[in-house]
Amino acid sequence: MNTAIAEKEPKLLPGDLAIWFFIFMELFVFFVAFISYAVMRSKNVEMFNEYQLTLNTELGAANTILLITSSYFVVRAIHAIKLDDTKACAFWLYSALAGGAGFLILKSFEYYDKFSHGINLETNTFYFFYLSLTMFHFLHVILGMIILLFIAIKVQRGGYGAKNHVGIESGASYWHMVDLVWIILFPLVYIIR
Amino acid sequence: MMSKFYNTHTIWIAMIVLTISTYAMGKFGYSGLGIVLFLLLTAVIKGTVIIRDFMELKGVSFLWRAIMYGWLWIVTIAIAITYVMT
Repeated sequence: MNTAIAEKEPKLLPGDLAIWFFIFMELFVFFVAFISYAVMRSKNVEMFNEYQLTLNTELGAANTILLITSSYFVVRAIHAIKLDDTKACAFWLYSALAGGAGFLILKSFEYYDKFSHGINLETNTFYFFYLSLTMFHFLHVILGMIILLFIAIKVQRGGYGAKNHVGIESGASYWHMVDLVWIILFPLVYIIR
Repeated sequence: MMSKFYNTHTIWIAMIVLTISTYAMGKFGYSGLGIVLFLLLTAVIKGTVIIRDFMELKGVSFLWRAIMYGWLWIVTIAIAITYVMT
């Protein structure tokens, strides 16, 4: 009698392994940036608290909601492609892109407001970190959107299906990383004092 | 799509609610160590569901989960330490 007990194998990482190494590298860079901000703040608490009040928390919160919602749309896209529903998958990917575009527009308004008041990287240490951290993240949003756009076009052309969606999972993982980083960045830079 | 109460849709709504609560804390000018820890814990909860449910890392090899959750906790604890020290 066969008494062997089948051991449950761990699930494979969604997407390509290469994108995960890229994600880990990106997270490490943001880790250093966040800790640098926190350490510099601890040495200039009053100044950081004073200038933090000049930030637009409404736009920051709206952008957080946009990124979370955009991530949610990407999850819906993955569910759709697993059901071989390419039309729904493309719809959710373009919806996610719209969320990303909304983020870029609101962030641009925020930057315009700051730049029109003569604020730049050299204004003070707080603005140096605020601008460099958020702009670095801004570039990641753009890169994530480019990846999602290529994937959405490929989905529309029938390049992905229920049995072949590793590429979509890779793009989705990167997009969730962009969301994850903002989840820390928003309270750290805009709210916590 | 998980359970009736814990699924992609309810996670999304919960994260929106947590974001609004974070915004409200800032808007009402709440500060102090307790609030800092509350806000960081809120960020950890949101980060955890993104890693677990959105990135779908639930059930993958321990190494990958350790890297992702480790990043989230180490970043948060390190930030908390700098606030505790001031």
